[in-house]
Amino acid sequence: MAYVTSVGLVRVDRNYYKSPRDLAFEAASKAIEDVKLDTIDYVIVTSSLTYLQASQFDLAAYIARELGVNVRSAFTVEAGENSGLAGVEVALNLIRSHAAERILLVGVDKLTEYISNRTYKMIQAIYDTESDAVYNVGHAGPMALLMRLYMDRYGVDRETLAHWPVMMHTHGKENPYAMLRFKVTPDKVVNAMPIAEPITLLDAYPLGDGAAAVLLSSEDQGGDHLAKLSEVYSSIGFQSIALRDDPLSFEAVGQIAREAGLNPEDIDVAEIHDSFTITGILLLEELGFAPRGKAAEMVAEGAFTKGGSGPLVNASGGLKARGHPKGATGVYMLAEVAMQLAGTFPGIRADSPRKGIAVGVNAHGSSARLAFLEAL
Amino acid sequence: MVLPVWWRKRIPRYRFVGALCKDCGRIHYPPRNACPYCGSRNLELVPLPRRGVLESYSIVYSVPGDNRLNAPLPIGLVRLENGVRVVAELTDVVPEKLEKGIEVEAVIRRIGEDGETGTILYGVKFRPALGRK
Repeated sequence: MAYVTSVGLVRVDRNYYKSPRDLAFEAASKAIEDVKLDTIDYVIVTSSLTYLQASQFDLAAYIARELGVNVRSAFTVEAGENSGLAGVEVALNLIRSHAAERILLVGVDKLTEYISNRTYKMIQAIYDTESDAVYNVGHAGPMALLMRLYMDRYGVDRETLAHWPVMMHTHGKENPYAMLRFKVTPDKVVNAMPIAEPITLLDAYPLGDGAAAVLLSSEDQGGDHLAKLSEVYSSIGFQSIALRDDPLSFEAVGQIAREAGLNPEDIDVAEIHDSFTITGILLLEELGFAPRGKAAEMVAEGAFTKGGSGPLVNASGGLKARGHPKGATGVYMLAEVAMQLAGTFPGIRADSPRKGIAVGVNAHGSSARLAFLEAL
Repeated sequence: MVLPVWWRKRIPRYRFVGALCKDCGRIHYPPRNACPYCGSRNLELVPLPRRGVLESYSIVYSVPGDNRLNAPLPIGLVRLENGVRVVAELTDVVPEKLEKGIEVEAVIRRIGEDGETGTILYGVKFRPALGRK
């Protein structure tokens, strides 16, 4: 295990005046400003778009050099939308194997550098570029196919599904680091501009820029910490939804939930990947938080908000409202769950939570990761 | 998209060829280096049925790159007659008339063009099936 010692977040936004390196610098500086540090063993940068956006290789070294701290080694981890938690997985294993005492994880990505159709082309590459992404499916197409399949199979209507973004915006409104801090109604979601029918603009994560940093420490490091990072479970899935026996099953998520022996009743807080409404809904079901076909109804009933019957899910506002700067998202999730467990999260808080998870996937689930955290 | 990337895949993409796993018996498309189901490399290229059923569809507005000029674009999840599924663009459709369960058939259509050389890139799309089988 490792400790989450401190975190530093930048509000996700259209940060036109800041480069990816400026954003990373800001988040990293906040994470280390109050910690007495001699050396950071590794600076691990998680980013999936920065090479394309800023034409910069060896990004981690360039970011690390500006921190004014002695850094032994720095490298970048890329796993698409799942980059952040991939970095967490690597960091935990380095600490567990005694190769590191202190690791600074910095997630950063910028989605507003270019006009949107160029960005769509870049982010379409989360899907398999040898099959689905040969076509002009965009970033939402395959998930839109799943949304319609889900509505048909379970007889869930469009309006019921709109309660996911409604809940995300209600949560995000209270989170100072969220990009979208306003409430929406189911009616607004249903009638928003379509981006890939039946997905509308309000079902989708906004294009925004952000950076998040987390300092992880080994058990031997004294001082104050926020939470314990106990384990990261990881799995890979099929290359396309077309290859699955059931296109609606995120088999890689099911696999890690089983491996973790996940019991939804034990979990107090969760941050899960909701790139689109349907992604959030399918993850809730795959994690066992809701029976198949019932997640949207449970969301509408308030099961996953504060005071609901289930765990508090995405108090940050999720990818939907906090925002989804790709490679940074998993680091935001880790920071948010750690702050919930420490009682310092600046938005809606769970009541004395003991156990929390952060769950991320890339695209339709080409990879999946689950980080398990505990209160100190 | 650079041309060699497209050229390497010309056989499966233009002839609509899948791969049969001789160990587990399952067919997948496009052909991969190993069977996605059992990992076997004992694969044989097989022609795929041209007809199938539309299981799901979407009209995509957030169309990437230069193809934005052609937005919105219909895409579908097609279940071929042998049970193999494919995600592909749809063509020759009236978006309002799309519905789950309609029969579709594979045709060769333009997917886009290479931005630098202007070469037209083709591939299989699906349209509502015409005539008898």
